[in-house]
Amino acid sequence: MAEVFAAGSIEEVVAFLAGHRGVSLPIAGGTDVMVDKRNGRVHPEWLVDLTSLEALAGIEFREGGKVVRIGSMTRIRSLELDPVLGRRAAALVEAARLLGSVQIRTMATVGGNLCHGTPSAEMPPPLLVHDADCEVAGPSGRRVMPLVDLFAGPGRTVLEPDELLVALELRLPDSGVGSCYLRQTVRWSMDLAGVGVAAAVEVDGSTVTKARVALGAVAPVPLLVAEAANALVGTELDAGAAAEAGRRAAAACSPITDARGTESYRRQVVAVLVERAARIAWLRATGSWPAGVPAPANGVLPSEVR
Amino acid sequence: MRIEIVVNGDRYVKEVMADLSLLDFLREVLGLTGTKWGCLTGDCGACTVLVDGEPVVSCLQLLRQVEGRDVTTIEGVEHSGELDEVQAAFVANGGAQCGFCTPGMIMSTEALLRANRSPSESQIREALSGNLCRCTGYSKIIDAVLQAAAERA
Ligand SMILES: Cc1cc2nc3c(=O)[nH]c(=O)nc-3n(C[C@@H](O)[C@@H](O)[C@H](O)COP(=O)(O)OP(=O)(O)OC[C@H]3O[C@@H](n4cnc5c(N)ncnc54)[C@H](O)[C@@H]3O)c2cc1C
Ligand code: FES
Ligand code: FES
Repeated sequence: MAEVFAAGSIEEVVAFLAGHRGVSLPIAGGTDVMVDKRNGRVHPEWLVDLTSLEALAGIEFREGGKVVRIGSMTRIRSLELDPVLGRRAAALVEAARLLGSVQIRTMATVGGNLCHGTPSAEMPPPLLVHDADCEVAGPSGRRVMPLVDLFAGPGRTVLEPDELLVALELRLPDSGVGSCYLRQTVRWSMDLAGVGVAAAVEVDGSTVTKARVALGAVAPVPLLVAEAANALVGTELDAGAAAEAGRRAAAACSPITDARGTESYRRQVVAVLVERAARIAWLRATGSWPAGVPAPANGVLPSEVR
Repeated sequence: MRIEIVVNGDRYVKEVMADLSLLDFLREVLGLTGTKWGCLTGDCGACTVLVDGEPVVSCLQLLRQVEGRDVTTIEGVEHSGELDEVQAAFVANGGAQCGFCTPGMIMSTEALLRANRSPSESQIREALSGNLCRCTGYSKIIDAVLQAAAERA
């Protein structure tokens, strides 16, 4: 049996974690912790409840909406239902919609999804293509780092046991940007990604000026693949450029064979989904995609937008 | 640990284990066995209850985290001895066979209909995707939800 510690400030929580290293574990929504605890994967003497930390909650737009700060305790369901993020960070909202069930999304937090370090987790790819930074609090204060540096391996992050993820910060340029998240699963719902792919592009006129491509479930950690993104920059995102980005992404990943697919199948799916996600991101950036409408999870376009 | 919580409108103060789940509290401490003990991993939805009107899987919900909040279980759905529209529609449409999934299905439906008074079939499937049924094949459940929505509108 574990005891529960709860406090109202980040400093108190961090101090408690520092004084109970190895025997305490933060609990946010609990959708991973409660399962891990039941399976015997973790045996905390103390669960450190983060639900009363107001400082970790909420979605806040700053600088006239050019920056959004997403508290680590923000529920996946709140991301899913946020209309502004739906328009300006479509990939993130698409990924949120695909995660678990309504019940799981109501409980699960974005911070928990990142800190659990699951390679197939839904939140990392879209946050990576939106260039997220993360703010971390520990005994010696706060630090900010690029999200890509958070992940250390399957089930592991670089956070010390007495550090908390406080928030994510994303830049949201006000126009000419589009993003998309697609995933391959064995079942349509209540399944984990066999492959997860996010793409984002910034467009000037119809030319791509910046691009990012990120992959989940096909390496020990979520990947940002610069080579794939570079294949898109300077193009009008024609079929050739999208296919080249897909090939490069497939070459850059290192999937394993498991119940969700073989290594070579996963590589092929990466190529296809990167191609489709890049294309949808471009349609969004150029205003040719209906606002707020999610892409189908496999990226096969309905005939009216194809 | 002492916990104070409102379940189906009744306030309870109880002495419990600190890391008890909401599901174990409802079933073992309060004796409200309508909420089912299924997979215990968040997959089946048989343990679904509402917390402040939002659906959660009570098997993964740490009781301590819902202290002071308003919990509704299947026992709190009826109105003074009468089935509510959702329950009645499940009966009328054959939306329940063995009945094991039914409390969870009904709680997810209650949450859906609070947020969306006239859901489409695909919205219903989406809202119930975290509730597994081994018996009905789902079609009759969808019919029941559509009927309940029509009756409430
Ligand atoms: C049935 C089911 C279906 C699921 N489907 C999906 C899916 O489709 N896609 C997907 O990506 N995930 C899925 N998940 C997992 C998903 O629910 C979790 O990854 C969730 O997002 C974790 O958030 P939480 O708040 O519940 O975290 P918790 O379980 O509370 O915590 C997870 C981990 O993060 C740590 N932690 C939490 N918050 C912080 C913080 N602020 N600072 C430092 N450490 C922290 C905890 O100590 C713990 O190690 C599913 C889970 C279930 C049970
Ligand atoms: S018992 Fe809770 S989801 Fe199955
Ligand atoms: S009626 Fe038997 S599981 Fe649904």
